[in-house]
Amino acid sequence: MSTAAQRFLQDAAVKSADLMHREIIRRGMDSYDVAHLKGRARIKDWEAARQKCQEIKREAINHVDRYLLQFEEKVVARGGHVFWAANSEEACTYVKNLATRLGVHTVVKSKSMVTEEIHLSPVLEKAGIKVWETDLGEFIVQLRDEPPYHIVTPAMHLNRGQIAQLFRDKLDPSIVSDDPRDLMAVARRKLREAFFAAEMGISGANFLVADAGVVAISTNEGNGRLCTSVPRIHVVVTGIEKVIPRLEDLAVLWPVLATSGTGQGITTYGTLIGGPRRKGEADGPDEFHVVLVDNGRSQLLADAEQREVLHCIRCGACLNICPVFRHIGGHTYGTTYPGPIGSVLTPHLNGIAEFKHLSYASSLCGACTSVCPVKIDLAHHLLQNRRNATQAGATKSSERMMFRAWRSVMLHPWMYALGGWSARTALRVLYGLGLAGSIVDPMRVWNRYRSPVALPSESFRARWRKGLGSN
Amino acid sequence: MGQTEMTQTEMTQSENSSRERILERIRTGLRTVIPEPAALASDRAIVEPVVLEPVIFEPISNPLERFQQECVSNLMECALTADSAASVRQLDEVLQSLPDGEIFVQDEPSLRRLVETAVPRRAIRWSSQGAPAEASQATVTLAEALIAQTGSILVTAACGGRGASVVAPCHIVYATTVQLVPDLATALGRASREGILERNSFACVISGSSRTADIEKILVQGAHGPRRLVVILERSGV
Amino acid sequence: MQRKVSLFVPCFVDQLLPEVAVDTVKVLRRVGYAVEFPEDQTCCGQPALNTGYWDEARPCAEHFVRVFKNAEVVVCPSGSCVSVIRVFYPELLAHSSLREDAISLGKRTFEFSEFLVKVAAVTQVGASFPHSVTYHASCHGLRELKLREEPLQLLRQVDGLKLVEMIRFDECCGFGGTFAAKFADISGAMGNSKADSVNATGAEFVTAIDPSCLMHLQGILGKRRAAARTIYLASILASQAPANQAPAQEKS
Repeated sequence: MSTAAQRFLQDAAVKSADLMHREIIRRGMDSYDVAHLKGRARIKDWEAARQKCQEIKREAINHVDRYLLQFEEKVVARGGHVFWAANSEEACTYVKNLATRLGVHTVVKSKSMVTEEIHLSPVLEKAGIKVWETDLGEFIVQLRDEPPYHIVTPAMHLNRGQIAQLFRDKLDPSIVSDDPRDLMAVARRKLREAFFAAEMGISGANFLVADAGVVAISTNEGNGRLCTSVPRIHVVVTGIEKVIPRLEDLAVLWPVLATSGTGQGITTYGTLIGGPRRKGEADGPDEFHVVLVDNGRSQLLADAEQREVLHCIRCGACLNICPVFRHIGGHTYGTTYPGPIGSVLTPHLNGIAEFKHLSYASSLCGACTSVCPVKIDLAHHLLQNRRNATQAGATKSSERMMFRAWRSVMLHPWMYALGGWSARTALRVLYGLGLAGSIVDPMRVWNRYRSPVALPSESFRARWRKGLGSN
Repeated sequence: MGQTEMTQTEMTQSENSSRERILERIRTGLRTVIPEPAALASDRAIVEPVVLEPVIFEPISNPLERFQQECVSNLMECALTADSAASVRQLDEVLQSLPDGEIFVQDEPSLRRLVETAVPRRAIRWSSQGAPAEASQATVTLAEALIAQTGSILVTAACGGRGASVVAPCHIVYATTVQLVPDLATALGRASREGILERNSFACVISGSSRTADIEKILVQGAHGPRRLVVILERSGV
Repeated sequence: MQRKVSLFVPCFVDQLLPEVAVDTVKVLRRVGYAVEFPEDQTCCGQPALNTGYWDEARPCAEHFVRVFKNAEVVVCPSGSCVSVIRVFYPELLAHSSLREDAISLGKRTFEFSEFLVKVAAVTQVGASFPHSVTYHASCHGLRELKLREEPLQLLRQVDGLKLVEMIRFDECCGFGGTFAAKFADISGAMGNSKADSVNATGAEFVTAIDPSCLMHLQGILGKRRAAARTIYLASILASQAPANQAPAQEKS
């Protein structure tokens, strides 16, 4: 078992038993469920909306080279820069070199999961640059020195009391109120200094619009707006799969993203940026850079079954509905992307040997597939990852042996019937001796959380033969 | 573009050796043929010969009414005024409610008229002078369009710049009913055709005051952007 | 000539929950079907399929297809097993000589409640069960087979039954097959959350169309010494009032 898998099992055990954590998450998810349903009600034909979004992303990904080149041409023509980064190191090096070359001491960042994926902040900080996360949830987890808990709501695992204490410890000991409005006011005051002092703003991108040559950024707080308006340099860090063909595609993608992400009809700020400030504009950055990150995505294109995983618009709906996520929380996954999308994607980005366990940590309930706004069949892909893992020889040989034996039994009805009878009889003896749950009980894992299964003296087929069979 | 910028661009492109490698990997990957999803194929079989584009959003019959309703749920203020005199009075009322301090105004003839009539004594910084000051109490701008479906305003860099719609705690938009379009599709289609993003480095569809729900998923109005977004919506003549 | 169905009994039902299949047979006969049970059947292959061992699952699936090849209609008291046959066999057997047979078999294989409502076209089966019951929507039946209303339609016709809705009735119970063994803590936690929802309704019984869910839930409820008990859908439908009562009327 990989160390990542071992750590996952340990963390999952702790979190599964943590009832306070479960309650906080349940309240957060209940609130999302209510909002989400309201959002869905604003869309006349939700299934048609999903279908349309799937078609848009399918067209984009099936011609991703063409659309990326179209996007790049327009951005460069306006004086922007586009850098293609094969992996995390190249992306981080580019941003770091740019910052040091241009005399950057302070960076303000709006939320970007790709910057988490490439671990950008530590690279900049090591170069002596102060990085401020400005999205409230990201700001909070940054102060706690922990990764985001959820791709849309990074601090949903904390209650107001914990956040107030955190602000007291790290920002201002005189803070008294734990009212969310007052806490936001504290963060606003602190971060405003950063917005107006920073030389560089770094953002992500929700979409790269090919025909208009603009990045589209959906935010609510206004921090993304300030990061991309005030500092003299704006850097966008994004995955190559974010591209969409046309500006008009946003007419359905924006409402669907907002509905799935937070239940809103549309996110408060739908920002479109195509280059540095133009002559005659009152303000805006002098430099505009877009870093296109591959980091394993181009490989996924070749996968006939799973190319559609690149359609993901990072809305978080699959995390919200997943019963596994609801019980173990985002940190337990130990990956940049948690939840169903993370479990499907991570083996492709970071290796199947080390991360296959995430694809197994699911009951395959299919809820994720049912909510995905771009209709990615996530549950099916989890199953395919399992199949890929066994075929790559990445699973335990003892397990394979066990299933080979199982196969032999199932191909011979008499062996199956005899095996079943023997197992039941042996268990009945064991339980009769009071050994249920002990080290010799083959069902001890079952019996840890459940009372033992009642063992019938006769199987169904035995009863059938004994007379049940006559109609 | 200046000489320095041109050199920087060329330099950056030539230093980007991964660009070709990534494009090559993409093209190789795309050579894998994906069979059309079975579901799609079987759906086609039962669809009528004339396929209508499904209606995703309810068509909007009364854009003004819808815009006003959306403003309410977006926590925006929309003040409908009959004429420019009423608009002046409305602007005056909003500004009176704000603390003393400089306001930032998009430098445009109709706004010059509006603002100078309404606020003879407040300090004004015009967009032609540069970016809004950090301590601005309010910004006043026009909009490119209003979108009824989502209760949104579409602003561009030409509407006083980027900071104009986010720096101050109160953003006031002066618009007319003729600027109302029914939905996002219309607004974005028009923006595309008119080349709005060729003439402007920035545009934004704004649907409310800034907000966050990052703490216990409780909605807090007024995060880093404006706490108040006010639309003074003047009825157009005719 | 009497109508006939072939019965597919999931392996764990055959060995551990035989009453599930016994009651299924009872109800099928009551609504007028003769039941045959091909004794060469063993397992649909789900455990190997779901653990990713498709090479090991495949021969098992092929055996299944051969056993039921000539069946007119197959009925099975398990949503998850039927979804394996209908939804996953075509992919699992994509390169097998039995691929076409599998696809055809999938179209003739029905989950028990699905068969009653959509094939036999009955919802009133003369059942009486004067207890409060809450319904858990098992995942595969709900999302793979799209069975949302059928089990409820049957329950609503049961004389004396008080149907109580639980919150998050469509959230997974946490069994998931080998998931319960490999990720026992998560499975246990999910099961306990489901048990909380059941207990909150105050219902005497919780039912579902998947006996694997019920087996897992019964264990959880039993360990907590909860008042509620699990009961498979067919066992409710098999339940009848004492002989001297008039048959139940069709409820509108």
